Amino acid sequence: MDIFFIHVFNALLYASVLFLIAGGLSLIYGVMRIVNLAHGSLYAFGAYVTAWVVGQWLAGAPVPVLFLLLPAGAVAAALLGAVLEPTLLRPFYRRAEEYQLLVTFGLLMLLEDLMRFFWGPYPLTATSLFETMGSLTVGGSVYPRYNLLVIVIGVVAAFLLWAFVYKTRFGVVLRATSQDMRRASAMGVNVNRVYVQAFTIGCFMAGLGGAIVVPSQSAVLGMAVDALVLAFVVVVIGGLGSLEGALFGALIVGVVREIGVSMFPEIELAILYLIAVFVLLVRPAGLFGKTA
Amino acid sequence: MPGPVSRRELLAQLGVTTAATLGASAAGIGFAGVARAQEKPKGNIPDKPFRIGHMTFFTGPGAVLGEPMYKGNLLAADEINAQGGLLGKRKIEVLKADEAAGTDANVKEMRRLKLSEKIDMFMGITSSGNTPALGPAAEELKLLTIFVDGCTDFLFDKAVPNPRYVFRITNIQSADGSTCALAVAMTWPDVKKVAHIHPDYAYGRNCHQHFSIVSQKLMPGAQNVSEAWPKLFSTDFTPHITKTLAAKPDLLVTSVWGGDYISFYKQALQHGLFGKMKVATTLALGTAPQAVGKDHPEGVIAGVHANYHFSYPAGNRWPLNKTFVEKYYAKFNEYPNFQAEGAYTATHVLRTAVEKANKLSGGWPDDEAIISQIEGMMIAGPGGYVYIRPDNHQGYKDAITGFSKNVPEYPFPILDPARIITIPIRNITAPPGWPKGEPTSTYTWIDQTWPTVKHA
Repeated sequence: MDIFFIHVFNALLYASVLFLIAGGLSLIYGVMRIVNLAHGSLYAFGAYVTAWVVGQWLAGAPVPVLFLLLPAGAVAAALLGAVLEPTLLRPFYRRAEEYQLLVTFGLLMLLEDLMRFFWGPYPLTATSLFETMGSLTVGGSVYPRYNLLVIVIGVVAAFLLWAFVYKTRFGVVLRATSQDMRRASAMGVNVNRVYVQAFTIGCFMAGLGGAIVVPSQSAVLGMAVDALVLAFVVVVIGGLGSLEGALFGALIVGVVREIGVSMFPEIELAILYLIAVFVLLVRPAGLFGKTA
Repeated sequence: MPGPVSRRELLAQLGVTTAATLGASAAGIGFAGVARAQEKPKGNIPDKPFRIGHMTFFTGPGAVLGEPMYKGNLLAADEINAQGGLLGKRKIEVLKADEAAGTDANVKEMRRLKLSEKIDMFMGITSSGNTPALGPAAEELKLLTIFVDGCTDFLFDKAVPNPRYVFRITNIQSADGSTCALAVAMTWPDVKKVAHIHPDYAYGRNCHQHFSIVSQKLMPGAQNVSEAWPKLFSTDFTPHITKTLAAKPDLLVTSVWGGDYISFYKQALQHGLFGKMKVATTLALGTAPQAVGKDHPEGVIAGVHANYHFSYPAGNRWPLNKTFVEKYYAKFNEYPNFQAEGAYTATHVLRTAVEKANKLSGGWPDDEAIISQIEGMMIAGPGGYVYIRPDNHQGYKDAITGFSKNVPEYPFPILDPARIITIPIRNITAPPGWPKGEPTSTYTWIDQTWPTVKHA
């Protein structure tokens, strides 16, 4: 029985991180209609910054300070996003989508190389936080407390994002811009500002995803592409541009992966893609996507 | 058929030992380090630089293995260039190429390096997915090649069964799973329930196969109770760990490596995995010796790809290793792994072959002459003697593994110096003349020629 709870925790853990990444991707697409292929790099950037700050630069600081520094990666990713959007992406909104794909894909490669340049090829870790929290005994099983914290952060982030988009004035502007950019602009909305804000929030979420996985995992080269591919699986299932879709997509992927690993280990890699294929066949716009 | 045999007898037959043997010195063995004064070469040597195209992972998660490989090549090139270059004249120039471009692009890049950059030799390669494509291309281009890794048995079993231009220096892949299984059979012979976690690609499959066939022979009572196949370059192993714990095995065997292994053991620690079972790995300390922390449990079978760990042989017992580690540390501020040792030795294999060929015929030797000198060469490298078998161009050196241990001298665990396990490589790899087999020649050789033990 305790193993069942562990499985549930594992599924939620995976879903929490995936939601942060895919939610950001979906938010950016929903508002700006660009598919940001560099999104995974912002996740990796968040992971590297946190790993560097917590694991190396200020590694000797007291543990509570390190916990406060955990979101450093998220803040750094947000700042990076705030710089990237006006400089690199804005000139391409009026062009065909291919240009955006090319630019963001180029950015993906560039950021990967920059991270390697600054932090080298070896994995970066910041495990002191993971270790200090210790483990919890659930029945006969042991479970890391830190993983539960990640789940809590995922849930809180999902709630805050929902409140932000649906309960604030900025959320109204955001949704208006998303529905009809021209009309929102005619109503006096500063679209450029909304865009940079949406992009920054999306990057913050991706960076937060990276920041919270680093203590229990590590920052490694190549994590950007992996995260991007998984985020796409989530949004394909949930529907691109929909936050609810990202949430449910992440939960489905989390649960299916957990079942896959324990029951069908041989097809662990294939099973997520099979679900994505199935959803695409049955509901091409995803479970929560609007069919045109 | 051999008669009933005990495990102890079979281990003794296989030469599996914890006492570190140095081996008898054989006549004609060269050595890798440039420690001797160079003889004056015969004939006219051009002073045109000797260009080596070095392809390995410079980007992506594979760079954790690729960078040290390149550095090993650079260090050896520096040593040789300090003496004026090959034959005192031809300085070595190393051109970088990124293996992360993908197999097809790598084949194109190899062609470009040969045809446009006019490289004299090709070196490197980390991935077992790439050597089977690059091997045939090198043969077609008539390009002298020493692969450092990409150690799949498939290369010389199937892809290039009769190599002319292609060689490989680090141990063949099947040796890794076999070495791990022999270490387990020797250390924990009473293991009954075995769980596996392997990365889901050629290397993980190969380790699983060879561990299983050897353990069938030596521990016929052991059974697989759980398997998990995480994607290569994963960092989240929680579900795999949960699955393994649920199966309640006596032993976990894993070939997870690099950044993956770092994440794996940190998570396994917090799940209390190491306290609940024994753990045997093929590459725990192999990828980047300094990347594993002192929180890593001691007494884990800590594989080094059955090749090399910088801490063995220790001290000045094997001076080639002492000088190699010191020079490498001085130049790069880190400790060398098996890839660094492989590339370093490969470069000195080239140097030695060129010098020998020059002695025979004078002038700069052509590729044919260099190849004939590499074939059958026995050379001492930092990790021990390496023998390049003439029939399949594969390098063979005695396999090594051991147990993780923290010592005050290093801020990370090393192989327990008191319990190094060495295995003569000829006893765990298919010999010359053995027919090519499926999945590997070594697999069928073990399956058909090793007895199954009847008792301890």
